[in-house]
Amino acid sequence: MAFNVTRRKFLQTASLAAVALPLSEVIASESGITRSPLEPPGSLTDETVSGGICEMCFWRCQLVGKKRGDRLVKLEGNPKSIDNGTAICARGNAGIQFLYDPDRLKFPLKNVGERGKPVWKKIGWTEALDECGKRLAEIEKKYGPQGIAVFPHGSTAKYPMHFFERTVGTHNVSEASFFQCRGIRDTAYMATIGRAPGEFVDMPNAKVIFLLGSHIGENIHVSHVKQFIQGLQNGAKLVVVDPRYSASAAKSDIWVKIKPGTDTAFLLAIMNYLVTTKKYNAEFIEEYAEGFDKFKEGIKEWSLEKAAKECDIPAAQIKEVAELLAANAPNVSVHPGRHVSWYGNDFQRQRSLACLTALLGAFYVKGGWVPGKNPKIGKTSWVKKEHEGGHNLNENEDGDLKHPFTPPGTPTELIRDAALTGKPYPIKGCVIWGQNPIQTIPDQDKMKKVLQQMDFVLCVDVMPTDATMWADILLPEVSYLERYDLVKAGTQWDFAQKHQQYIAARMPLVAPMFERKDQVFITNEIAKRMGYDKDIPVKTIEELVDKDLEVAGLSLDKLKKEDGIHLMDGKDPYTMPEDFEIILYNEELEDAGFPGVPTYIPVEQPPAGYARLLYGRVPVHTFNRTQNNIWLKNAMPDNPIWLNDELAAKMGLKDGDMVGLVNQVGFKSRTTTTVKTTPGIRKDAIFMAHGYGTANPLMTVAVNAGIDDTSLMTKATVDPETGAHGMRNTFVKFVKDGKVIDIPAAV
Amino acid sequence: MPNFSTADPIAAIYRFCAQSMHYPEAAWFTDDYLKKLDGLLDALGGEEERAALPGACPGGRDWLEDLQVEYTRLFINGVPHTAAPPYGSVYLDKTLRGRYSDEILAFYRSLGYSFHKDGDLPDHIVYQLEFLSFLAEDGNRTGEEEFLRRFFLPWFGMFADRVKGQAHHPFYRIIVTIIDFFTKEEEEHGVQRNEA
Repeated sequence: MAFNVTRRKFLQTASLAAVALPLSEVIASESGITRSPLEPPGSLTDETVSGGICEMCFWRCQLVGKKRGDRLVKLEGNPKSIDNGTAICARGNAGIQFLYDPDRLKFPLKNVGERGKPVWKKIGWTEALDECGKRLAEIEKKYGPQGIAVFPHGSTAKYPMHFFERTVGTHNVSEASFFQCRGIRDTAYMATIGRAPGEFVDMPNAKVIFLLGSHIGENIHVSHVKQFIQGLQNGAKLVVVDPRYSASAAKSDIWVKIKPGTDTAFLLAIMNYLVTTKKYNAEFIEEYAEGFDKFKEGIKEWSLEKAAKECDIPAAQIKEVAELLAANAPNVSVHPGRHVSWYGNDFQRQRSLACLTALLGAFYVKGGWVPGKNPKIGKTSWVKKEHEGGHNLNENEDGDLKHPFTPPGTPTELIRDAALTGKPYPIKGCVIWGQNPIQTIPDQDKMKKVLQQMDFVLCVDVMPTDATMWADILLPEVSYLERYDLVKAGTQWDFAQKHQQYIAARMPLVAPMFERKDQVFITNEIAKRMGYDKDIPVKTIEELVDKDLEVAGLSLDKLKKEDGIHLMDGKDPYTMPEDFEIILYNEELEDAGFPGVPTYIPVEQPPAGYARLLYGRVPVHTFNRTQNNIWLKNAMPDNPIWLNDELAAKMGLKDGDMVGLVNQVGFKSRTTTTVKTTPGIRKDAIFMAHGYGTANPLMTVAVNAGIDDTSLMTKATVDPETGAHGMRNTFVKFVKDGKVIDIPAAV
Repeated sequence: MPNFSTADPIAAIYRFCAQSMHYPEAAWFTDDYLKKLDGLLDALGGEEERAALPGACPGGRDWLEDLQVEYTRLFINGVPHTAAPPYGSVYLDKTLRGRYSDEILAFYRSLGYSFHKDGDLPDHIVYQLEFLSFLAEDGNRTGEEEFLRRFFLPWFGMFADRVKGQAHHPFYRIIVTIIDFFTKEEEEHGVQRNEA
């Protein structure tokens, strides 16, 4: 395209005014630029703003932001923090890049194409909210509240989740943090010690740190890493049980190279050894534990030799670990883990960890399992209304729970099955808020079918994800750097130091850009349109935070004056609560048809030619959430597959080779990634970082980088006690240049 | 809605270009707007562009939605990617709201103008063109020339190439061609007006 006149000539023509001035008639007078008094150059001010709380992962480190004018230029740990202190991790630093990522969602979008193949059109908030309110109200009217499923994740999703769950009345809520992550841990410990365990291990003051699958250092939560490192600096011995030589294993005194899926057998053997050799803490068990005799009887078959065979490790090593734990009890940190939805036999493993801690007497003692004594804060949200019963998918016809030890909400698989079969009732509305169910839940094809059959899908997020491609309406949410939000309370990270407590609230470091809105605004506006205006608990997010702070005698104004963190004297965390008891044999479990004593349930092993696909985290990424961040992408551009070096030589593969994977039912990865050969992994397993290989082209940095491990999990395994997923039962072969390569270990 | 007025033809052209880079809404994207655009193309000898317009923007509702989809894809969030983010900082700093956006804000202020659009960023092409319009109207030719040289031209070419290469709809190819026409030669020749 070019014009038949030069600019100079055009501007010199006598008719210029006649052509140009009438253009004014179609121009709006409003403008973003206006005349104003002259300002000298260099008038931008530099300032430090406090009150930020990080959300590049979910550890919630406290931040300050360095600003030039209204532009955030650097993030640092808040010097007043007694949690992360001045330290933040690589992801925390890269929050700047996330904030200003050109791919972030900016305006409400309407899909005028198909679900899964969206054609986006920017629309105004009124139109977007009207559509959401109308469509969700129609579904509620036609199918009942249970016709709406909610997939929430993160701090902003609590408020809308409570609206749909408590006020509208759907039970069909599935949080990834429970059903694909830590829910099994929490309910297993609840069934053993009556409490969810968090990661409350007093590692700085431990004599032994025992990690089973946890790979601290690859999974970076700043104050937790500080606890771990402080413990090692103070001389703690480290036991790491992992099929892979992880960052933690690299610092270990004993690396137990265990066969995947057999961890419970290993734990049972240790416990049986402690009991039979009377090296457990009998006094502690006598005082606090219930059901020891049945427990002792139930685990007695697990000799060192039997476990050694099952776990493919030396019996002497199991004994060595047991002796080390006994010799240093009770000052032992038996880490409860975090992401524990592995094999579908996980509830029993988590119960075993709690029971092992009990045998060592390692609750509420230095170096043991010790929850800090946190200050009280409010939990303002929607009030639970009375709703008709009978729609809980987890209940069978007799009213018993199918998965009696389920975390809050409804097991994901039950929601998906009901949506696809329409039985016992249809699920036709879907709200996805901050979760990426395509890349967090096994069997992507099933999830896509679930979304496809919906009458309406609403997604709310900060970034485009693989899930947002399935939205009808996609709403842009403010990020953690642009909003008021959760109140975090805690203690100093090392209990050997002066006992202190803190309260911090998330406060914006910069004003929201474009038309992004917060969760209270969006939820309230939808609620009004669904006829729930009288139930709205707060008008603004600031009001919500203020109400939560009021419980502690604080307010946002007060907190701002205290640089975002309120400090106060703390309490000794080692005092045993009066109601504390340990249930070694759980009758309730047995009544529900599950083993009352921790029990090893073998899982399927890889068929000939395949290896088990293991996955985990890397320090520069939080799953898929950070994949589009160019700073972090440059730090780790793809997710190399760890392959045993001896196997690699037999298979003709070397470091850097580009390969794909194919699973046991012939599903091939859409993309490829590199090979990393290492002696640091067993021959019956391979490992890769989770969260790579996004399919959404709107994530221009991340799209197709590396392999999406979840895409290969075409078979969903379910942990029977909880209904949560087991995600490490995928078996794979390699694909190179279109040719499938067997993995010879199992041949 | 349209009620802008100016006595300066260059200011009118810059503002017309700025208007054209706003999200297309029925309130301003009218038959009258299209007539004015056609008149401008006629004066520029853009026969090819004139011929493309009626088919692309025939009037009625559906084509406006097509244009909104195109705007969203090119400039907001699109598949396979946001084709041409309309912010200089994306091209020069590889991020939104980079140092460039501070510098442009400081330049606006140093010449006696301010930016006050809540939520949006000062280096959006619309505001750069509005700024040029103000400078033209206020007779600040040195400022206009310096702004084009230091701020506008270093990224506009990259932006225009992306729009021309990736637009499915002729409208935005035409608009960036017009903007290119009215800004490019400034660099070589300075402001050339008919003083008569």
